[in-house]
Amino acid sequence: MTLRKLFLSTTAASLALTAAAASAEEYVIGVMSAQSGYLAPYDGPAYAGFQFCIDEKNANGGLNGTLPVRTIVKDTRSDIAEGVKVVQEMLDEGAQFIVSSADADPTIAAAQITMADGIPTMTFAGTAPVLTQVGEHVFGSYPADNQQGAVLAQYARDQGFERVYLVKSPDSAYTLGGPEYFGAAFEALGGTIVGTSNYSLNQPDFSAIVTTIKAADPQPDVIVTWAWEPDFPAFIKALRGAGVTTQVMGGDVLDTPTVRGLGEVVSGVVHTSGGFPEEGSAYADFIARFTAAKGFAPDNNYYASGCDIANMIEQAVAAAGSTDPRAVAAAMAGIENGTAIMSNFTFKGTDRMPLRDVVVARITADGQKEFVLRAQADPATMPKP
Amino acid sequence: MDLILQQTINAISLGGVYAMLALGLAIVFSIVGLINFAHGDIMTFGGYGIFLSLAFGFPPVAALTIGIGAAVVMALALERTAFRAMRGADVVILLITSFAVSEILKVLFQNGISARPVPISLPASWSGTYQIGGATIGVVPTVSILVAFGSLAGLTWVLRRTATGMAMRAAAQDLEMLRLLGVRANRVVAVAFALSGLLAGIAAVIWTAQRGSVDPMMGFFPVLKAFIATVLGGLGSLGGAVLAGFVIGALEVMTQAFLPDSLSPYRDAIVLGLVIAALLWRPDGLLPAANANRS
Amino acid sequence: MDTALEIRGLDVRYGAVQATRGVDLTAPLGGVTALLGANGAGKSSTVMAIAGARRIAGGTVSIFGRDMTGAAPDAIVRAGVAISPEGRRVFSALSVEENLTLAGSVLGDPARAADRKARMIERFPILGERRRQLAGLLSGGEQQMLAVARALMSGPRLLLMDEPSLGLAPQMVDRIFAIIEDLRDEGISILLVEQNAALALDVADHAVILANGAVVAAGKPADLRNDSLLQAAYLAA
Repeated sequence: MTLRKLFLSTTAASLALTAAAASAEEYVIGVMSAQSGYLAPYDGPAYAGFQFCIDEKNANGGLNGTLPVRTIVKDTRSDIAEGVKVVQEMLDEGAQFIVSSADADPTIAAAQITMADGIPTMTFAGTAPVLTQVGEHVFGSYPADNQQGAVLAQYARDQGFERVYLVKSPDSAYTLGGPEYFGAAFEALGGTIVGTSNYSLNQPDFSAIVTTIKAADPQPDVIVTWAWEPDFPAFIKALRGAGVTTQVMGGDVLDTPTVRGLGEVVSGVVHTSGGFPEEGSAYADFIARFTAAKGFAPDNNYYASGCDIANMIEQAVAAAGSTDPRAVAAAMAGIENGTAIMSNFTFKGTDRMPLRDVVVARITADGQKEFVLRAQADPATMPKP
Repeated sequence: MDLILQQTINAISLGGVYAMLALGLAIVFSIVGLINFAHGDIMTFGGYGIFLSLAFGFPPVAALTIGIGAAVVMALALERTAFRAMRGADVVILLITSFAVSEILKVLFQNGISARPVPISLPASWSGTYQIGGATIGVVPTVSILVAFGSLAGLTWVLRRTATGMAMRAAAQDLEMLRLLGVRANRVVAVAFALSGLLAGIAAVIWTAQRGSVDPMMGFFPVLKAFIATVLGGLGSLGGAVLAGFVIGALEVMTQAFLPDSLSPYRDAIVLGLVIAALLWRPDGLLPAANANRS
Repeated sequence: MDTALEIRGLDVRYGAVQATRGVDLTAPLGGVTALLGANGAGKSSTVMAIAGARRIAGGTVSIFGRDMTGAAPDAIVRAGVAISPEGRRVFSALSVEENLTLAGSVLGDPARAADRKARMIERFPILGERRRQLAGLLSGGEQQMLAVARALMSGPRLLLMDEPSLGLAPQMVDRIFAIIEDLRDEGISILLVEQNAALALDVADHAVILANGAVVAAGKPADLRNDSLLQAAYLAA
């Protein structure tokens, strides 16, 4: 997504505004999308997927074929203060739904602004379960960290792994929570945690942690981290470079071409994911449609996840039978087994972090991703946020 | 015992990178008074040079050479386009100029290449291990140490034994006097930038070989540590920059390795606290520049 | 061509401060010209402007008949000018020999540079004895000799000497002035800046007196020695 495209789409949106002002009804969705900074790699694809599916729906008459959507998109530069400002501006411009940046912190900040009017607020891909605790109007869209942790722990135990070493960073809810949820579920299933190391985001060097892992007694048979780029590449290079061949497992952030492009060192790494485009699936169909329309293939789940937000909003509006913010929020919270492309979703009975399938995938020696399994977290072993 | 040996190798390996970056900063600072905040972006550019040459199918050794060359070219280009125009300006103005240059480069990397990290895949055979008395030592950290020491020794030789090095040492003390002797200052300054770019390029090679990816912020974090090293060593002191680079690398590895987990969030604070304590003890740095009172 | 240096209407400014105002100065070929005046009279600004190290705001500088106004220092060195600056400014972290080698490097001819270095060491034996020592460890008088030797490395025909006697012991001052006379006898033109007017007038063929950045008197040393303007120029400071 370039700034020019953003400019064009916002211009198009404001032209649509003048055109639609006369029309009876439209649904206005405000989108926070960081064009620069640490969130840009997630917000960019998520917004592209979201807008693509909104455009498809509008071409067919809008949400549920009857309610045209107008989007207001504003850049936050990954800055929370800027995010708060643009959310307020979007509300002033009549936004009835806010899609917030792909992380817990900006989403929590946005949700505090939207709370007064109960405007439903959904994060692009924030996965920390705490984010929905701001209020009844806040929703996640991606399978939460505790679901991912529980599914991965179950898989690890099924493979016979018994001793885990956790590598986590207290600097973000994701990098801290993922391994902790994994550890809790792993212990509940009879495994043990043999050691833990903390790192800092963007830590220059992981050799000291690797040496500590090598010295751990007893030795782990699996190492789990929710580290992302560039920390994960640095960690795995240091680990394999030191001759440690222990199985490594990680969170859904590892589902990127960059990680798969690291070569030999990532061969066999297992990670969770929000979805997998199996042949004939709705996801594969989405990729084909998107590629045909945009000229490039979506290379990560955030595109599909963005599109699914459009699907969730459509189903919530249909269930509410109105566009009243509180009614839409209540209807969203009551959806059970709603249809979406990455996987179906259930908000009913959850803390508004949807219960969705978690995929476990493995990176192959030639840098491809192979499907391992698809499962929903078992509520019995799923750690509470 | 093995643990200590391995952590010591980790410390020297990390310290070597910091030392090279700090030395590059100190060379430029000592001659033109510029605290070059864009130094990290020069290193990042070297990383992208490696990435792009691998993407275009160059063999790994050629790609690493191109990466080093890219960093040198970038350092020279910045000197010519941005910093030469500001020659002789106040140190604060120079610092702000380098901030601006750094921001511009980051945005260019982000929009021109990718906001996300891009992978650098070097042959697996390069990341093997070997045994010393029961301890398993990685090839990459060992090579890093050798390369860092080789570079530092090479640079010392250039500064001590060549005419250009002599001119650079003289320029560090009194650039105007050097010009009054008829030596062309622009050439000496350009060589200083080229050498700092060379060191940043070598650091980029070691860094990407160890970390496997390049992103727009790649150079920022290690260069931040290198800045601290230049201050700890004594601003403008080349030997001090190298020594302090190793000290900071060692402190980082040792705090990571031996602090209890509950204290680990305070690791950077502890390292910086020790640096501040050292500066209170020796306000001019560990090895102050010989010409600290230069007029 | 019978002048080594001819300055007309030289203005040097530092921001709003005017260091020299319309200075006219002529140094004849092969003689010692003394530039006298109190501290802050504009002597060093004039010398540094000639050497190309200060921006010239107005006026012209011609050296051996060629207009060199605003030329870069390296062009001025190639035109045959060298400077032994105020405060000596030897490279203290370099050895004595390195100081000389560095100055010789502008000749672009290693053999000639080595030859000149040998001659300097012959001329200043103390520098030969201390050739491996850091220049910063030399005494003040030795540093002054090094500064002169360094200036001579490029083979100048006009030598600018700024306060060569400053801070030196009396017998060392005598040595420096003996060297000045030797150099003059070898045919090198010298512009000598001095606060010690009596000493300077002893060796000078011609003198110019500055006060507050402007020329207040010029002429033969004998005529100026008891000139009230000279006294006034120093008292004015």
